[in-house]
Amino acid sequence: MSDLRISSVLRGAKINIRVNGKAFTAYEGETVHAALLAAGHRVLRKAPKTHQPRGIFCGMGICYDCLVTINGAANQRACMTRVEDRMEIEVNET
Amino acid sequence: MNKPSQTDVVVIGAGIIGSSIAYHLSRYKLRVTLLERGDIASGSSGACDGLVFLQSKKPGIHLQLAMESRKRFDGLARQLPVPIEYKETGGMVVIEIEDELAAMQQFVKEQQEIGLDVSLINRDQARKLEPHLSEHVLGATHSPLDGQVNPISLTLGFALGAKSLGARLFTGAAVHDIDTTAGKVSAVETDAGRFEADIVINAAGVHAPEIGALVGLDIPIKPRRGQIIVTGSCSPMLRLRHCMISAKYIAAKFNPEIAKVIGEGVSIEQTENGNFLLGSTREFVGFDKRTTPDGLHRIAAKTAGIIPALKQVNVIRAFAGLRPHTPDGLPILGPVDDVSGFFMAAGHEGDGIALSPITGELIAQMIATGKSDIAIDAFRLSRFTVESEKVEVSHV
Amino acid sequence: MKPSDHVIIVGSGLAGLAAADILSRYGLHLLVIDDNAHIGGQLLRKLPHAAAADKRFEPDRLKRQGARMAARIKKSNVQVLNGAQVLGIYPEHILLVEDSLGHVSEYRAAALILATGARERQLPFKGWTLPGVMSTGAAQVLMKSSGILPGRKTLIGGCGPLMLVLAAEILANRGEVLAVLDQSSAGMKLKAVTAGPAIWPKLLEGATYLARMAAARVSMKQGVRIVEARGRNQLEEVVAASVDVDGRIVRGTERIYPTDTLAVGYGFSPNIELPQQAGCDINYSEAKGGWFVDVGDAMQTTVGDIYAAGETTGIAGAGKSFIEGRLAAWDILKKRSVVDRQTYESNARPLMRQRSRQVQYGRFLNHLCRLQPGCYADIPDETVICRCEEITMGTIRSQLKNNFTTMNGIKKATRGGMGNCQGRICGPVLFDILSAHSQRPPEAIGCTSARAPVKTVTLGALAKMTVSTSQDDGNKCSN
Repeated sequence: MSDLRISSVLRGAKINIRVNGKAFTAYEGETVHAALLAAGHRVLRKAPKTHQPRGIFCGMGICYDCLVTINGAANQRACMTRVEDRMEIEVNET
Repeated sequence: MNKPSQTDVVVIGAGIIGSSIAYHLSRYKLRVTLLERGDIASGSSGACDGLVFLQSKKPGIHLQLAMESRKRFDGLARQLPVPIEYKETGGMVVIEIEDELAAMQQFVKEQQEIGLDVSLINRDQARKLEPHLSEHVLGATHSPLDGQVNPISLTLGFALGAKSLGARLFTGAAVHDIDTTAGKVSAVETDAGRFEADIVINAAGVHAPEIGALVGLDIPIKPRRGQIIVTGSCSPMLRLRHCMISAKYIAAKFNPEIAKVIGEGVSIEQTENGNFLLGSTREFVGFDKRTTPDGLHRIAAKTAGIIPALKQVNVIRAFAGLRPHTPDGLPILGPVDDVSGFFMAAGHEGDGIALSPITGELIAQMIATGKSDIAIDAFRLSRFTVESEKVEVSHV
Repeated sequence: MKPSDHVIIVGSGLAGLAAADILSRYGLHLLVIDDNAHIGGQLLRKLPHAAAADKRFEPDRLKRQGARMAARIKKSNVQVLNGAQVLGIYPEHILLVEDSLGHVSEYRAAALILATGARERQLPFKGWTLPGVMSTGAAQVLMKSSGILPGRKTLIGGCGPLMLVLAAEILANRGEVLAVLDQSSAGMKLKAVTAGPAIWPKLLEGATYLARMAAARVSMKQGVRIVEARGRNQLEEVVAASVDVDGRIVRGTERIYPTDTLAVGYGFSPNIELPQQAGCDINYSEAKGGWFVDVGDAMQTTVGDIYAAGETTGIAGAGKSFIEGRLAAWDILKKRSVVDRQTYESNARPLMRQRSRQVQYGRFLNHLCRLQPGCYADIPDETVICRCEEITMGTIRSQLKNNFTTMNGIKKATRGGMGNCQGRICGPVLFDILSAHSQRPPEAIGCTSARAPVKTVTLGALAKMTVSTSQDDGNKCSN
């Protein structure tokens, strides 16, 4: 399994997050969408009408495709939120 | 496009009223030309919520019209070429303070006397019907007949329906002039050409006075701004069953003085798509369609006060629509005294969507057959020029 | 209500920083508001790398200058609000701002500089909503802000100079680039010679990138368009084909590229929503990337004491942004009599000359990314155009037949542009589709109105905010 994290980057403190209940490593300073991508979660939600899968698209907070639930709050833009220790993230992959 | 065109009726304004009239006229096989200076529903009909509320109507001819109008929606949903999203969700008028409770008790009695299916329910009953209601709510009045529709779809449905029945529709066709010969209308001059017609219907909403001025009429319609907040889609996490308004809404609508003291009321509607339309303000600010921080704040605070779960919901947009307000709160319908062939159909202030089916039907009936099933003499323009004692709703 | 002698700068990219840099030197009270966690905008994002691996001497002089400006501002007493969004601007220069904690409050400014930048344009293709398909900018931000590669092997498509920049960045980070598929033809690029001297450093930069591609044996194709993205639940392969001079797909030239990551972008479009909402006039020009904020020579918009600077006045790259930020700052200093006329002239005049060269370069840039009208005919009916509301090309085509040929008209008839992003992604696409279909001038097609809040905000935040302009002297339901 290849790690998408760029090895030469100096990262912040290592922290733990959970995605759909499963534990993953992340680093302070990363955005949620980057941490999810590194954890192998590319499908973030299903479009409401057609149920087509959606994930990262614009990466800068304007497309509202990367919506996930963070610490119980729904519809958060993953690309505009930084990870925090013990963050609980829910993505809708089914 | 610049040669004179033959048509039986010219309808000015492709908002909900004009489009409904054009549709109903076309069903009578009359040749209709619908003129719109912008796009279909680019005025107030495209900047409003879709409440089809009977409970907020004044008992009397107003409520009577509304009750008749409501019955038409199911049929329209089948006939019109655009899905109009009409739903009889049932409606609630939410009561928050004791003063409102007393007023609503009285109001409900008057409505029941006129035959409206409405009842007063207490807090527990209200929260059983609608679990998301705040616990501070004292109670509500409920009617199973209230509902909602998609106003833009309905306007499009009427307009495209008219087109499919042979009506001609011109957008980007502002009206510059209306020709009269010996006190009778003869033609309408527009950006899209000249249209000769014996009958012209002024369905221009808040711009009806400008059209009326072209034939020397003084039409007492003033724009009254209503700001609306639009949220992102909330289904299925948060789904309300009913559409609702606060009891203050009814008071504010009929007496702006009360509104100034206790604040305007609000309306809460969840569309089929799941978005909430949260309204509203009632402001006389001319044709200013901007939203204001204060307006957004007040709507947000009051609607979140009624449905606390809304606090977490994302607001994606806000807009303001201009309601066509008349001095007595009733629309201006029917022929005018001084100009033969000129008809009014405007001034529905906040009730345009709900009354559009019946307005279109009655106006079309009157023009096609000479009379209407429900008498609409009480709505004539001439009521404003009659020197008599009227209870005028004071306004700023 | 915050004090009214502040100059408020919205956006801390190159234009915003350049303005702040100058204004702060003259002691003006400044507030810089940016919705990102750090100042610097898209261009100056950067993460620290281990020294040994850091061969990151920034060849771009502007980026180096930008980094120095950012450092100076951080040390100065310029107030910076990060993670904050401006929801709307009201008379007289009152801003409604949501801070990073979700609190909404009002700020009053004496003068405003709106430097809200740009966003990428897209050309929809079947399957572009699949996870794994992202914008070129998204791929860049992942690396620059979070140090994560967009994928193991990235296919890059679209048009414009950002593609090569991304490719080089991926390679420098030890990622793989499957291929770079440029929709524009070699011929269009040769027109570079007519773009004036401003482009020569860019040509040199481009040549460096090409050399890196060659060294890494990355396949580069011209005149190739993305046709489809396929995969069951996420991207698995991409179909691309050659295009003719009209941008139409040449059937029979389709090729499949197996990959799970596709980065696409088709140039840029100015972010005009906030200036538009504030009442500033906007105009349309293909040479500027679409709808842009109308400004005078000194960056004044049509609303008094509101300036616009950078990509928001027209796409032309970092050079123009740097110049315009400074021009706006100088005009503010002159208007407030902080500098005399002579000082103003000696600083502003050369900048204005430089600006016209950059605008000329911008013309070339936007021409390079120009999507021919014929492009849209090839988009299949089932392709989603409005991603938020899932509105397809087929729905749009049928309403075009019903004569809904203005932006407001098509929006009402299809719900396109009514979703969460309020038309930021699909707006330029819809406009181009309408243009191609009706052949009417831009003013006839129109631009959808921008209303506050221009960014999403929770209802609760609006319910809690303190409003100084309150008219409600009775019931205060907020708490």
